[in-house]
Amino acid sequence: MTLMEQARAGTVTAEMRRVAEREGVDPEFVRRGIARGTMVIPRNRLRQKLEPVGIGEGLRVKVNASVGTSRERADIAGELEKVRVAAQAGTDTIMDLSTWGELDLVRREVLAAAPVPVGTLPVYQAVAEAIACHGTPAAMSAEGLFETVERHAADGVDFLAVHAATCRETIQRARGSGRIDHLVSYGGSYLMGWMIATGRENPFFEQYDRLLEIAREYEVTLGLADTYRPGCLADSLDRLQVAEMVILGELVQRAREGGVQVMVKGPGHVPVDEVSATVRLEKRLCAGAPYFVFGPVVTDAAPGYDHITSAIGGAIAGASGADFICYVTPAEHLGYPTAVDVREGVMAARIAARWGDLARGLGDGKSAK
Amino acid sequence: MTQMMAAREGRVTPEMTHVARDEKVPVEVILEGVARGTIIIPHSGGRSKATRAVGIGRGLRTKVNASVGASSEGSDAGGEIDKLRVAISAGADTIMELSSGGDLDFLRRQVLEIAPVPVGTVPIYQAALEAIEQRGSIVDMTPEDMFEVIERQGADGVDFMAIHCALSLEVVARLRQQGRVADIVSRGGAFLTAWMLHHERENPLYEQFDRVLEIAKRHDVTLSIGDAIRPGCIADSLDRAQVQGLLLVGELVERAREAGVQVMVEGPGHVPVPQIEATVLLEKQVCKGAPYFVLGTLVTDIAPGYDHITAAIGGTIAATAGADFICYVTPAEHLGLPSAQDVREGVIAARIAAHAADLAKGVKGAWAWDLAMARARKALDWEAQFRLAMDPDKPRRLRAERSPGGSDACSMCGPHCAMKLISEYLGRKEIETC
Repeated sequence: MTLMEQARAGTVTAEMRRVAEREGVDPEFVRRGIARGTMVIPRNRLRQKLEPVGIGEGLRVKVNASVGTSRERADIAGELEKVRVAAQAGTDTIMDLSTWGELDLVRREVLAAAPVPVGTLPVYQAVAEAIACHGTPAAMSAEGLFETVERHAADGVDFLAVHAATCRETIQRARGSGRIDHLVSYGGSYLMGWMIATGRENPFFEQYDRLLEIAREYEVTLGLADTYRPGCLADSLDRLQVAEMVILGELVQRAREGGVQVMVKGPGHVPVDEVSATVRLEKRLCAGAPYFVFGPVVTDAAPGYDHITSAIGGAIAGASGADFICYVTPAEHLGYPTAVDVREGVMAARIAARWGDLARGLGDGKSAK
Repeated sequence: MTQMMAAREGRVTPEMTHVARDEKVPVEVILEGVARGTIIIPHSGGRSKATRAVGIGRGLRTKVNASVGASSEGSDAGGEIDKLRVAISAGADTIMELSSGGDLDFLRRQVLEIAPVPVGTVPIYQAALEAIEQRGSIVDMTPEDMFEVIERQGADGVDFMAIHCALSLEVVARLRQQGRVADIVSRGGAFLTAWMLHHERENPLYEQFDRVLEIAKRHDVTLSIGDAIRPGCIADSLDRAQVQGLLLVGELVERAREAGVQVMVEGPGHVPVPQIEATVLLEKQVCKGAPYFVLGTLVTDIAPGYDHITAAIGGTIAATAGADFICYVTPAEHLGLPSAQDVREGVIAARIAAHAADLAKGVKGAWAWDLAMARARKALDWEAQFRLAMDPDKPRRLRAERSPGGSDACSMCGPHCAMKLISEYLGRKEIETC
C-alpha cells in the first residue's frame, strides 16, 4: 500500500503523525490532506530513517535548495559543501540537479549527506548518458529514460521531477505562439528536442502508467514539471503555459487514482499582479495539488539580485496558496552559485516562506521545528 | 512661490516640465497632480547646485529614498559622503541626511552640495543634539530651538523635511492605553514624546503647525509629516494609536494644502501581510491621496541581517497597493550603521520593489525595460544584459567569476543540438543555444 492508499483507508501512519507534530496540527488533518492529495510527504520507501516533511495546504510553506555538478564544475566535494550549507541555512529539501560528471556517484553522495528529502530530475542523466555513449541526446531511448528513473528511485530519491505533460499537442501549440523566450526549462528542452528529432511522443506522457508503477513501488512523490514555465515576464500566463497546466491537471488526477503522491511544478518569471492568479489557476486545474514554484522572479531587470526578486514573488505566491518554494540564488542567469550564494538563496526563500505562513495564519510559532 | 501655488495658478514650472519628460506623461497630468496635492516635486529653490527635479505621487514611477548620516558612535563625514555617492550610483531617487552626531551643519551642507537629487532631513535630530550640547538634555530643548533649526535647514535649501507634527497629547494617551509591544521606534517621535511627558505640554510642532507651514512655504520645503508612532513590530501594526496618529496627519495635510505647501505622509514600519494593503488604502483615504512615503515595509520581525529582503517584499506590496515612495532598508537595519556596500544592497532591493510594483501598476516604460532584458537574454547578448541590469556591476562580476568559460557556443551535442532542433521546428532564424 502506498502512503496515499493508507491515508484513504483511514490509517494515520507514523510519518503523518510526525508531520502533524512538527507542524502543530491534528494528525487527522494530515491524513485527510494526504488522502485527498492536497498534501504530500515525499519520502522514499527505502529511507525510513529520514525525518518526514509535509508539503501542502494548511502546512508551513517549504523551501527547496538545488545543487548539482555541471560541465563547468563537476567537483563533488563542492556540491556536498553546498548541501551542508543549505541544510544549515534551514532548507526543507534538496534537489540534486547534476547535469554532468559521475551522476550516480553525486546522487548517492547527496542522498547520504542530506538530512532532508532529496529530489532529482532523471532526464538530465538520460541526456548526459546519451551524449556520452552516442554523441547526441537524440539517441536517448524510452527504455533508457525509464531505466534512469528506476535507478534514481532504487537509490532512495524521495521526489522525482518529470516533464510528463510535454506532449506533441503542446509542441504543436508552441509553433507560432509568439513567445519571447520559448523554453527555459533545461530538461523540457531536451525532451522536446528529442520529440522533434525522433518524431515520437514523450515517453513519460505516452507511458505515464509505467512512471506511476515505479513511483508506487518506491513510494516516490512525483513532481510534475512544466516545460513551458515562463522565462520572462512577458510570457507569463500565456496560452502555452496554461495549455500545459490543463494537461498537468489530468496527470495529477491519474496519479491520485494510482495512489501516487504528486505535486506540480511552476513559474518562473511572473509579474506581481499575475502571481496570485497563476497559483489559483494551478489549484483549480490540478485539484489542489501542492504547488512547487521556482521563484517566481518579479522583474527581468535585476540580474545579480534574483534572490530578492524571487523572494518577493515567492512571498506573494506563498500567500496565495503555493506550498513549496524553490530558491533562486544571486548567481541565477549568470553562472553557478557558490556556497555563499546558496546560503543567501535559502535565507531569501525562507523569508518568502515565512510571509506565506503569516498570510496562512501560521505565524504564531506553533511549529515544532 | 511653491510648486503647488504655481500649479494652482496654472503655471507650468521648469520642474514640472522636467518631471513630465522624465515620466513620459503629459505636463498637464503633473500640473493637475501638483495642484491637487496627489503629486509633489520636492525642490527647494535654495540650493546652489542645479538638481534633478523628481516627481512623487499617483501615476508616477515609484521612487526610492536612501538615508545616510553620521552618528555619535563612529561614522565620519567622509564615510557618509562616500555612502551618498554609492546610493546615487545605485539609483536612489532622493537622499535623506539623518545625522545624529558630528558637525551637523557642515555635513548637511556637504550633502546638499554634492547630491544631484532632492535631499530631505529630520530637523528634530539636530534640535535634540544641540539641546544636549547647549542645555544638557533633550527635555531642555525649547520650542524656539525646534523652529530655529527648521528655519536654518530650510534656508540651506533642504528639499523635504520629516517633521513629527502629527504627535499630540491625545495620540500619546491612546498609545498608553493601547499597551504596545514596541512602544515608539521613531527616534524623533521618542524625543518629542519624552519632551511632552516631561513638560506636560502639547507638541510645539503640532500646536504651532502654522509656523511650520510658514517656513515651508517661504523655502518651498515639502513636508513629510512623520509618523511618530509607526509600528516597530508586526504585532503593533495598525493599532488604535497608529490610526489615531494617521487621522491627525490627515487634518494637517489639509491645512498644508490650504497654505499651498507641498506635503506627503510618512508611514510604516513593520506590517504583517494582510495589513499592508489596508494600511496604504487607509492613508490614501484619510489623507486625501497625499503621496505615501513608506519605510520598508518589513513583513517579519525575525530576519535581522536580511531586512533589505523583508522590506523589498513589503515595499512591493505597499507600492502595488498605491504607496508612492519607498525608504530603503539595508541589511544592517536593527543591527548597526550600514556600510557603503549595505547602502548599495539596500538601494537595489528597494528599486526592485518599486519596479516590480510599477510593472503591476502599468507605469509608463516599466514593461519596456523588462522586455528589452528578456530579448537580450534570448539573444545571449551579455553586454546588453549588463547594460540593462538594474545594477550593471554585480552581474558583470558574477558572470566573470561563476562562468569562467563564458562561451555561448555549445559543443556538447554536435549536430543534434536540441535547441537547434527546436529553433528550426519553431521556425526561428537564429539558433537558440542552451
